[in-house]
Amino acid sequence: MEQANAIVARLEERFPALVGGANIANERRIFWSVPLTSLMDILRYCNDELSFTQLCTITGLDNGEMFEFLYHISRDDGIVLTLKVKTPRDGGVVPSVVPIYNGAIFYELELEGLLGVEVEGLPDDRQYPLPDNWPKGQYPLRKDWKPNAETPPLPNP
Amino acid sequence: MALSLINILIFPGFLFLSTLALAFEYVDRKLCARMQNRVGPPWYQPIADFIKLMSKETVIPTEANPSIFKSIPIFALAATASAFLYIPIWGQRSLYPFDCDLLVVLYFLTVPTLTFFLAGWFSSSLYAEIGSIRAMTQLFAYEVPLYMALLGPALLAGSWSISAITAFYHQNPLLSLLNLPGLCVAIIAAQGKLERAPFDIPDAETEIVGGTFTEYSGRYLGLFRMAVDSEMVALAALISAIFFPALLPANPVLGLLVFLIKVLVVVFILAVIKTAFARFRIDQMVTFCWKILAPVSLLQIVIDIIAKGVILS
Amino acid sequence: MAKMMIPLGPQHPALEEPESFSLLLDGERIAAATVALGYNHRGMEKACESRTYIQDIYLLERICGICSHSHSSSYVQAVEAIAGIEIPKRAAYLRTLIGELERVHSHLLWLGIAGHEIGFQTLFMFVWRDRELVMDLLERLTGNRVNYGMNTIGGVRRDIDSTQTEEVLKALDILEARTSYYIKVCTEEQSIIGRLAGVGKLPREDALRLGAVGPVLRASGVRRDMRKDDPYDAYSELDFNVITDDHADVLGRTVVRVFEIMESYKICRQVVRNMPDGPIAVKVPAKIPTGEAFSRYEAPRGEDIHYVRSNGTDRPERVKVRAPTLANLASITNMIEGGYLADVPIVIAAIDPCFSCTDRMIRVQDSRSGREDRYDWAGLRQYSIDWYKKRGVDLSQTKAAWKD
Repeated sequence: MEQANAIVARLEERFPALVGGANIANERRIFWSVPLTSLMDILRYCNDELSFTQLCTITGLDNGEMFEFLYHISRDDGIVLTLKVKTPRDGGVVPSVVPIYNGAIFYELELEGLLGVEVEGLPDDRQYPLPDNWPKGQYPLRKDWKPNAETPPLPNP
Repeated sequence: MALSLINILIFPGFLFLSTLALAFEYVDRKLCARMQNRVGPPWYQPIADFIKLMSKETVIPTEANPSIFKSIPIFALAATASAFLYIPIWGQRSLYPFDCDLLVVLYFLTVPTLTFFLAGWFSSSLYAEIGSIRAMTQLFAYEVPLYMALLGPALLAGSWSISAITAFYHQNPLLSLLNLPGLCVAIIAAQGKLERAPFDIPDAETEIVGGTFTEYSGRYLGLFRMAVDSEMVALAALISAIFFPALLPANPVLGLLVFLIKVLVVVFILAVIKTAFARFRIDQMVTFCWKILAPVSLLQIVIDIIAKGVILS
Repeated sequence: MAKMMIPLGPQHPALEEPESFSLLLDGERIAAATVALGYNHRGMEKACESRTYIQDIYLLERICGICSHSHSSSYVQAVEAIAGIEIPKRAAYLRTLIGELERVHSHLLWLGIAGHEIGFQTLFMFVWRDRELVMDLLERLTGNRVNYGMNTIGGVRRDIDSTQTEEVLKALDILEARTSYYIKVCTEEQSIIGRLAGVGKLPREDALRLGAVGPVLRASGVRRDMRKDDPYDAYSELDFNVITDDHADVLGRTVVRVFEIMESYKICRQVVRNMPDGPIAVKVPAKIPTGEAFSRYEAPRGEDIHYVRSNGTDRPERVKVRAPTLANLASITNMIEGGYLADVPIVIAAIDPCFSCTDRMIRVQDSRSGREDRYDWAGLRQYSIDWYKKRGVDLSQTKAAWKD
């Protein structure tokens, strides 16, 4: 718990705007809603100063009103800090974290493929994980997307 | 004339060779299976496989030249069958011995590898092309040690005829002990020539699918397999004729039996090598052949030249 | 020779699952490589949202046939964290036991595959024979060989008795002896070392930078293991070592895995010996309160991550799964490029890939005529009858063994 409190204290000191937003679920899990504009700064600070060197994954979810993106970053002592940002459902853009966490390419491709959000600066245009001939504008992880028999058949590649 | 035809086509020619080829394929597969703690195939499996392949639909790639594509396997089989005619099977004499038949046999036995290359190259498939290039690269690695290992004993015997070499060592069986390094080189090089593990680089399935034979199917694949199996018998027979000259009874039946046992021994060693090693990478294979096999085969030649000098004096 | 592009997959003998690598070949060397994925996407995360928490356990267990227990454990851990449930100690020990046996089975499977990829069939045959022992054991304990169905929210579903304990200990003895022999083979046999050493290099900095996990990361000299760093189940009470290696190549990954099997035996013995008595599950209401949880589990292939968010009903709002292979894929092109074509299969196999990902129909179209060659059962049968008729054999009267 002390470790988690110390991390929260250091982050609040560096980013005063964040004060009070942290939710320490247990000694190794911290959830924190942060503004989208300061996401990159916080990630960079966490990576450089707080040794959160590993990006576990990025969860994208549609809560019906907004898209939420959860960046799960962890460090060697097992503490996982989850930073939550929100974007509007239409035309939401999140920055690519590949410059900080080089291994994030597939996680971000997945956000683009399944939620249809734009990841700015992603150095890759592969289709993942849906097939190359998947119809445009169909994003299965959106809450209003339902699999049904009327889904047009896939065109030939 | 009629007898020659029977000799060439039936015994000890083509039909006999094909039967032996299938029989030794079974022996090889069963031995490997037992060594790998598997049950292994029943005795008729190679025949069943061959008949099945013969009756299967043949697919020829549209990009490939059909006549070349179809004729290549026949060349491979014809070459090994011809080579077999010049190797003594029982006794000391082959069917049609002549003065330089060792060289002819060696060239005949190179033909299958060349046909593998052509087969791969003319099937215009990526995997097959890579397989062909590998087959050629490998050819240059094992061929020289193999030739030198077989020529050493010939130098000592003072003849280029397999029958004469066999006869020479039959009279001086102890001298064949001098050829042990050559025997080791010949067996390892034979493994490369037959493209078996650990030298199955040209058809390494986990890398290049079927390698040179990727596009082959049906009866042409069946012929290729038959050619590879006969090549194994021919090589084993050649090795046993040159390196195991002892026990050559005059009685043809006994002679045949002894011949089969010798070939069995060679096939057994080949099977052990196949199960005991991981596949080499092409660069490792080439390095191994040039750095180890080639010097050992040179040593063999030096030994034979010195021995010849000692005997002559 | 000109450079050529060769495809490795989606269907290829070296790959157990469909994924596609394009390799730009310069002679025998790889100049560049790209990965294409998603051939197996089944939309499981979406499917989870329309099923109850209990149904999701069985769905998520089927993400992968090998780390089935890992996925279900990771998921139930997350749900239990949201509901604030503490599972009984005996349940934690049982989960650990199954988890470790699964690790043994997975690593042995991997070792066999590694043998196959480097053309060493004998190793493959031997290892897979011995793997049957642990498979049989898992079947005796859980009733299933692969998808064990052991986990439930709040504990486990089956208890084990003393005869089963005996069987575990007996099988462990045989397995340990066999595994020590394989360790000797993998670390001393020159033709294996020749194929593994120096192949698929991933230096420590690159491994960390690209977010590699599991045995791949540990073989690059990083001590990171969720069982130690973020302990779950009974691991905080057990004594075991985290195996690392400094080779940073395929040999290192092999060494890490084979020694990890030995550590698993050690853990299994401790678990069986110290198994506490008591209930194996606690009752959990079908509706889970609103909340979220992030859970990590050290699967045989590395860190398996599940994130669950609940909305107060009996169905989750969102389930996110990050299988370990996805984390390791980012570094695969680094490992392949510059190496030999012959080493590509083993380098890919060395991350122990497992591609959980949409089912779709495949159409085969002739590129010249545009005719679709797709046969159903009756059509295929008719085709074969016609094919043989042309050759003088009439099979049309032969009864079909299977009617559709």
